[in-house]
Amino acid sequence: MNEQPVIRTSGLTRYFGAHPAVYELNLEVPRGGVFALLGRNGSGKSTTIRMLLGLLEPTRGGGSILGYDIRALPPEARARIGYLTEEHQLYGWMSVQECGDFQSRFYPTWNGKIFRGIIGHFSLRPTALVKSLSRGERAGLCLALTLAPEPELLILDDPAVGLDPVARRSLVESMIYLTRRSDRTIFFSTHQLPDVERVADHIAVLDHSVLRACCPLETFRNSVQQVRLRFPGAPPPLPKIPGLLQATRSEGELRVTCVHYNGATEAALRGLAPTQMEPVPISLEDAFISYLGDRGEKSFILSETEAQP
Amino acid sequence: MKALVRKEFRENVKLAALGLVIYTLLLVQQYRDYVASPTDMSQPLAHGGPQGMTGVFCAIFGAVLGWLQLHNERRPDLWAFLMHRPMSRTGTFFGKALAGLGLYALVVGLPLIGFMVWARWPGHVAAPFEVTMLRPLAAYVLIGIVFYFAGMLTGLRQARWYASRALGLGVAIAVYFLVQMSPAFWQAMLVILLGAGILIAANLGGFQSHGCYRGQPAWGKAGLTAALMIGSLFVAVTAVMLLSSFFPRAESPMTRSGYVMTTNGAVFKEIQRPGKPAEIVDLEGNALVDAKTGRMIELRDFQLRAARASQFKTEQDEWARFRPWMQADNSLFFAWHATPDTLWYYWGRYGRLVGYDIAARRCIGSLGPNGFSQDLSGGGDRFINSEDHRGQRTLWTATTVYLVDVEKRSTKPLFTTTTDDPISMGSEIVLNGYDWDYEAVATKRFIHLLTADGKPVWKAPYEPTAPAYTQLGIYFLQPPGQFALWMTPDRLESQRADWKLPIHVVWLARDQGVVRSADLPELAPPISKPPLEARLVSAVVPPALLMILPYLRGGPSPAELPRELLVLSWGGAALVCLPIGWWLGRRYRFGFAAQAGWAVFHLLFGVPGLLAFLSVQEWPAREACPNCKKLRVVDHAHCEHCGEDFAPPEKTGTEVFAPLQAG
Repeated sequence: MNEQPVIRTSGLTRYFGAHPAVYELNLEVPRGGVFALLGRNGSGKSTTIRMLLGLLEPTRGGGSILGYDIRALPPEARARIGYLTEEHQLYGWMSVQECGDFQSRFYPTWNGKIFRGIIGHFSLRPTALVKSLSRGERAGLCLALTLAPEPELLILDDPAVGLDPVARRSLVESMIYLTRRSDRTIFFSTHQLPDVERVADHIAVLDHSVLRACCPLETFRNSVQQVRLRFPGAPPPLPKIPGLLQATRSEGELRVTCVHYNGATEAALRGLAPTQMEPVPISLEDAFISYLGDRGEKSFILSETEAQP
Repeated sequence: MKALVRKEFRENVKLAALGLVIYTLLLVQQYRDYVASPTDMSQPLAHGGPQGMTGVFCAIFGAVLGWLQLHNERRPDLWAFLMHRPMSRTGTFFGKALAGLGLYALVVGLPLIGFMVWARWPGHVAAPFEVTMLRPLAAYVLIGIVFYFAGMLTGLRQARWYASRALGLGVAIAVYFLVQMSPAFWQAMLVILLGAGILIAANLGGFQSHGCYRGQPAWGKAGLTAALMIGSLFVAVTAVMLLSSFFPRAESPMTRSGYVMTTNGAVFKEIQRPGKPAEIVDLEGNALVDAKTGRMIELRDFQLRAARASQFKTEQDEWARFRPWMQADNSLFFAWHATPDTLWYYWGRYGRLVGYDIAARRCIGSLGPNGFSQDLSGGGDRFINSEDHRGQRTLWTATTVYLVDVEKRSTKPLFTTTTDDPISMGSEIVLNGYDWDYEAVATKRFIHLLTADGKPVWKAPYEPTAPAYTQLGIYFLQPPGQFALWMTPDRLESQRADWKLPIHVVWLARDQGVVRSADLPELAPPISKPPLEARLVSAVVPPALLMILPYLRGGPSPAELPRELLVLSWGGAALVCLPIGWWLGRRYRFGFAAQAGWAVFHLLFGVPGLLAFLSVQEWPAREACPNCKKLRVVDHAHCEHCGEDFAPPEKTGTEVFAPLQAG
């Protein structure tokens, strides 16, 4: 198997005006598997994808996708990359079948079975006009149009945005069952952490335009830990703790979420002399929210809250 | 590409149908107008109405079609759906353009072909037709294609100044006017090709970079910059004209003068000084005084004493050869005379009058020097009238002036000369507005005045002669039977001779011929200072354009532009545009080649060049370099001041990075 990464960026940067939307992104996406690009709104996920596909010129830096320079992707490279856009926009005057026919003319590898399978899965009538489809149905049609050419690399830009849970589940199921192939890579951006948990092998996290994490999903999950400390009275002030993400203070309790929890972290916390100290299991969603949420301490002690200006 | 063409066809078919209906209705209106006036002596296919209407429709429809084809797909996700497919961007552009031009051809072509078939169908139009007459219509249809690409560019372009997206339309507007003004058809076609070429390059380049300047190939950038420069020129000139309208208009500071002949044959000078009433002086410069009042005679009173005159030219001046081709194509025939049931045209191709029956709207035959013929060619000699010498009664060949009677379909010789002294001009003189009094005939060596029935009145040598002296004036003096003949040099010849060619005046009497003659010094036109509008406009017109403008204008000799205008234009470019462009180039760290190239561009193209430069550039942000603290542009990998790389993002201690394994 080719061990070259399917996506590689080097110092990829894009400014909109004076604001960097993506800053010095160095990313490598290995071949095969599902790679999730996570981040809050405006963190630069869509901009990254658009730059990778040559739809947006980087301000500086560069990269390659399937070995091709992203600034000059030839048609043969685009033939190997399926791209599902965020808004699922299509030509409203076309019918479902016409969309398929139109798209099939461009792709020699077009697989009609896959197309029919997916539109069947989404219960789409071939004669229905695109403009009459619901958002979820349109997402399904877009997915069918993206998957039917059997692309080697599938890039999905927040495919489930705006979909109801049922449509979202359908979309993800289609994605999982119809695209799982050892030589196929799926690169998708999303906010839907349950989806990530179910399908992703690797994740990358963009925080305020900067790549903060890039690792296997399990590594990320294991890196973020939460510890509950109990005190007889109000918890004492926190010392400087390496990797601290969040600390939540309440009457007699302090919850600390940090990354790279190790002996030094534990020693620092024990220095607070808690009566009890125990790890708390957290979900990926909680870990992710702690990771991307506001850093520092939050207090739920009434007297301290009131004392704040 | 076929799938894309088909999709574009279907996507825009509604707009095309609307255009088809509108254009058909416009042509139907032209047809109705023509049918409603059976004595209308025009050929609808060579008439300004259908042509102008076609020009306006093609321009608007072309621009709207091109714009909508792009605008509808410029939403980011739909654009990505279109562009992210295994097809080259060039192929995508040409697919769209092919479909758009196909629809345009259908919308414009179908009604126009219908209109032409109707006009050419025997019994519909009572006027001559030549295929050449279709060239103006064809040119307007082709101009619509230029507008189509201009509309496309407007829809495609990503621009910081939203209004600058429409600047590409300036190219199409320029083409529209330049085609009409071109002296030759091939020049008009060249203008269309050039305009379309610039816009195709700009569009094709735009497709490579999704409408942005950055990321385009060099030819795309050149096309886009040229297009925006032309559009900027329109904007700048319009703005300056509007601005100049706020300034009070000063009266012309020039003194003008001209000759006037009175009924007794005396010559005076009329002098108009700025801010003063006209002054009448004799040739020695003494003011003409009213004998009764002792005061200077007023112009109004003097004009009552002026002799009636008939002016004509014996040859077309040199400028006539440079008249716009469109005008020439529309003047291949001209209306000659209408009777209650026939229409007669002089048709230059056959050198004959061609008659049409009003009721049947069919050709009834032609009338030449040898008489009436059932066909158009007739045979024998040809009339050689030019469009400038239209008349109602006479036509001439090289040696004979004929009195033409279209009612009787006959011709009668009125005047005959020899082949070594051919006729250059004949003119019907009507002094009271309705009675034909005289016929003036100029041959190569003589000028003849005849009565309406062909009897000679006098004959004067045509000396000095053409080509310098082409303007003749016959003055009818008192008592009757006294005349004066003025021979005035052609203006261009006068200019070439530094206004030293005199005006030759000959006094004549009936049956006596020349009585006396005199030369009057030519009155050189005053040298005028360019008006304020011209000065303001020249400050914003590209110096390069100003330099070649006299040659572009066409004509026998390029007129020099006032030095003041050139100084303003070059000065503006060198002192304003060049420094601003240079400073911006340095500020945003252009490479040396780009910096030098833009400097030349600013110098040659002045204000419009600078506006185009500002429109196309996507200025990168600047931020402080952590090393040297100076501002550096963000689109370069290193600081331009200290060479420092951009720092990697600051570590927070919460990064999670681990090696990734292939799946």
